[in-house]
Amino acid sequence: MAALLDPEQDSGVPGGGEILAFADAVIGSDRAALDQARQNLADSVGSLAVPAAAAIAATFTKNDRIANAVGIPSELKMLRNSKEIRAELGINGFRSSASTFKHYPDER
Amino acid sequence: MTLYADSQYPVREDLDAVHAGQLDQLADPGTWGTGAQRLAIAREVRQACYDSGLQEEPEDTGPLSDVELPESVCATIRKLAVAPKDFVEDSYEEARNGGLTDEEYVEIVGIVSRLTDMDVFARGIGVPLRPLPAARGGRPSRVRPRATKKEMAWVPTVPNLPEGGEEAAEIYGEDYRPYIIRSLSLVPDEMRRHLELEEVQYLPMKNVFVKDFQHHEGFTRAQVELIAGRVSALNECFY
Repeated sequence: MAALLDPEQDSGVPGGGEILAFADAVIGSDRAALDQARQNLADSVGSLAVPAAAAIAATFTKNDRIANAVGIPSELKMLRNSKEIRAELGINGFRSSASTFKHYPDER
Repeated sequence: MTLYADSQYPVREDLDAVHAGQLDQLADPGTWGTGAQRLAIAREVRQACYDSGLQEEPEDTGPLSDVELPESVCATIRKLAVAPKDFVEDSYEEARNGGLTDEEYVEIVGIVSRLTDMDVFARGIGVPLRPLPAARGGRPSRVRPRATKKEMAWVPTVPNLPEGGEEAAEIYGEDYRPYIIRSLSLVPDEMRRHLELEEVQYLPMKNVFVKDFQHHEGFTRAQVELIAGRVSALNECFY
C-alpha cells in the first residue's frame, strides 16, 4: 500500500514499478516520459497491459473528479475498515477528505 | 472502422464502441444543455488540458464551436479538468453563485469527467485525441427525478431503496448502491453513461467484490487496483 504514495517502494505486484510509472506519466505532462513508460509497461507486463492500464487510469480519472466535485462522503463501513491504512498513508490530509469528515468527525 | 483503429495496442471492441458512442453523443442535447453547449464544455475541457500540458492538441479537433460559456462556468470546467485535488466545496459554491443550478452543475461534472476519462485513455495508448463531433439540434430533455433529496453529497441524489422508490429501482436495480454510483443521479442520463464506462473500463459492477475477478486479459486484479490506487492518490481523492 505504501507504494501508492511512494512509487519507489516495492508494491509486491508483478510489473508494479512499470505500472506505477505509467500511472504517473499518463496523467502527467511529460509526453516523453509517458512514451517511455508505455514501452516499459508493454515490455514488462505485455502489450495487452497498455490498453488495460490506460482504461483503469481513465476510469479513476473520471471517478476522482466526480467524487471530488459532488462532495460525496466515504461509506461508513469502508471508513471504519480503513482507519489504520489512512493514518499510515496520510490520506486523511487530502483536501477532499473534508466531504467525509464533516459527516463523520469521529472517524479520523 | 473502429474509433481506435490506429492504436498500436489491441483495444477491446466493447470499450471501443462505448467510447465512440459517448464521444458522438456529446453532440446531442442532454438533460439541461443543448448539443452546442455540451460541445462548448468539451472544448473548454480540452483547451484547459492543452494549456496545462496534460494533453497534446491533435491536428483534427473537429468543428469549432460558436457558443461562448460564461466565465464562471469556464473556471469550474478548467479547475475540475486539470486540478481535481484542488476542487473543494468552495469551488462548488462558486459555480452555484455563478448562476449554475445543481442540475446543470451535475451535467457539467459528468461531461468533464467522462471526456477527461476518454482523453486519458487515448493518450495512454498513444493515439491523438479523437475529434469532437458537430453539434446536433434539439432541446434538452429537462428530466429531473422526483425522488432526489439532499443526502450527504453537496448536490441532491436519488436515495437507495426503499426511500428512492420506483426511480431508485429503475436506475439502480434492487441492490444497495454506494455514493460513487449514485453521485450523478440528479441527472440520470449522466449517471448511466458514467456507469457504462465503469462497466467496460474497470469491471462489471456485479463482480466488484469478487476478489480475483479479472476483466482485462493480461492484467490481473492486483495490477488493476495498483494503478487505480495510484491515480486516485495523485488526484488526492479521499473517497
